[in-house]
Amino acid sequence: MEKFADPRETFAEALVEAGKKDSRIVALSADSSSGSGFSPFKKNFPDRHLEFGIMEQGVIGFASGLATMGKIPVVATIATFVTSRPFEMVRNDIGYMRQNVKLVGRCGGITYNDLGPTHQSLEDFAILGTIPGFTLLSPGDPIEIRKATLAMFEHVGPVYMRIGQQPLPYLHEGEYRFEIGKGITMREGKDLTIVATGTVLQKAIAASDILKQKGINARVINMHTLKPIDRDILVQAARETGKILTVEENYLRGGLGSLVCQVVSSEYPVPVRMIGIDDTFVGTGPYEDLLAKFGLQPEQIAETAIAFLRK
Amino acid sequence: MRHISEQDIRRLERTAVQIRRNILRMIKAYGKGHLGGALSAADIVTALYFQVMRIKPEDPKWKDRDRFVLSAGHKCLVLYAALAERGYFDKSLLDTYGALDSKFPGHPDMHKLPGVETNTGALGHGLSIAGGMALGAKLDHLDVKVYVVMGDGELAEGSNWEAAAACSKYQLENLLVFVDKNELQISGSTKEVMSYDPLPDKWKAFGWAVREIDGHNMREILDAATGFPFEKGKPSVVIAHTVKSKGFSFAEGKVSYHYWKATPEELAQAEKELAEMERRLQ
Repeated sequence: MEKFADPRETFAEALVEAGKKDSRIVALSADSSSGSGFSPFKKNFPDRHLEFGIMEQGVIGFASGLATMGKIPVVATIATFVTSRPFEMVRNDIGYMRQNVKLVGRCGGITYNDLGPTHQSLEDFAILGTIPGFTLLSPGDPIEIRKATLAMFEHVGPVYMRIGQQPLPYLHEGEYRFEIGKGITMREGKDLTIVATGTVLQKAIAASDILKQKGINARVINMHTLKPIDRDILVQAARETGKILTVEENYLRGGLGSLVCQVVSSEYPVPVRMIGIDDTFVGTGPYEDLLAKFGLQPEQIAETAIAFLRK
Repeated sequence: MRHISEQDIRRLERTAVQIRRNILRMIKAYGKGHLGGALSAADIVTALYFQVMRIKPEDPKWKDRDRFVLSAGHKCLVLYAALAERGYFDKSLLDTYGALDSKFPGHPDMHKLPGVETNTGALGHGLSIAGGMALGAKLDHLDVKVYVVMGDGELAEGSNWEAAAACSKYQLENLLVFVDKNELQISGSTKEVMSYDPLPDKWKAFGWAVREIDGHNMREILDAATGFPFEKGKPSVVIAHTVKSKGFSFAEGKVSYHYWKATPEELAQAEKELAEMERRLQ
């Protein structure tokens, strides 16, 4: 049976692990502790847990000031409330000041399926990606959430990591090396490349299994870091497979597909097709049904791949 | 803090003239700049940099230094002037204000100039950053004080009041805010544009200890800056009543000098007035 884990619980455990290693880490909550995975940290390190209430702009400035004093602050809350809401604070107080602050957005993408567009976050990577020096992490399974969390604290500089809400299956088998900025080949293949990230990496891998049954060998790349993006793995995929299909739970404008196009169009132009959320506010409904509305289920991804190959 | 003598006061008043001279030097180099707010805050900033703050210009990153946050970043000319006068860098650099890739941007950049603690410019950011610094010092039991200068027009930014509440919650006794209440902002008088009066009541309601002073009276500035927290367990705020463009009579209290595009006649007049100020203080 496939094993799953709650992304927030996974993050919570990893945060405690990081907190034990580094006493400079402080957690800043915007009335988001229990929902965002801070509760175990709070229990372990009550003096290093700081509650700000629903103060989603001011908390970013506080994080910046704490970083000035040598702390490594992490702010975690609902993805849109730590990215879109305080964008100027994130840009100026953290990005422009080059502060060693970590932001974690949970329930990113449309994983807040029932709460609607005010609580969904499809542009977080796009907007934070415009800030010079920001690192963007988008881990795709529980093992990777742990590794990304630990790596985020070892990296000196501003980082944003997005996690989802629904339990994620374990996609990685055994130990592997996680390195910020280095994509991972999850499936080997020469017929085309599927580049996927975050919550829907699992869908891309399942799609590749479907394709395999039809005799199509799709390479699957896990792009867990959206910035800095792994140019080498993309250029190699373009050269060796000739076509790239991107799969993401983001707005297409400024998302993974756009980033892939930026790289290959200048370095090794090949056709790229993108699956993601187009120019619309996503409604509400069961999560899997919402994904299906945008062609993000494995069968749909496989169909798109087949049509793309025929073209 | 040692007793502050009349001689100290006189010395600081003379330094404040020199700070205004440095501001004028930068304006001369570029021909324009945010004058009004730099001059209204000049006496406060002088007191902080030349009497109050524990700083080491030769070691600008000294861990235990006091921090200064210029929340109203457009008043940067006064910060540059003070840092230059205090010896953080060679004064001749002031002449590069406005030049390509100058270390003196129109709003301060901590990565360009030693002594600058924060990148401000967008309003309503400084207080929360300063609050984070004060909280960080408190968590580590460091004897570090954090000083902030804000504009009164800036108080219309809601983020300030988020920060005010949090500073109060965390009982940041090591934090002192000066509101440079020059009563003017770019579109006119603060009262007409968006008044947050009565300021003392607002800050008190947010849990702050409040004092009102004449922001050009060196003795009153020093008493406040060396005598806080004004109440135990609270952050402190000084409502400093000031005059925009203080020191240049032709510009005082005039909204048009918020950003000054200097004419040669005005520059000459400003020089003359600075010389007169110095003579009076001999």
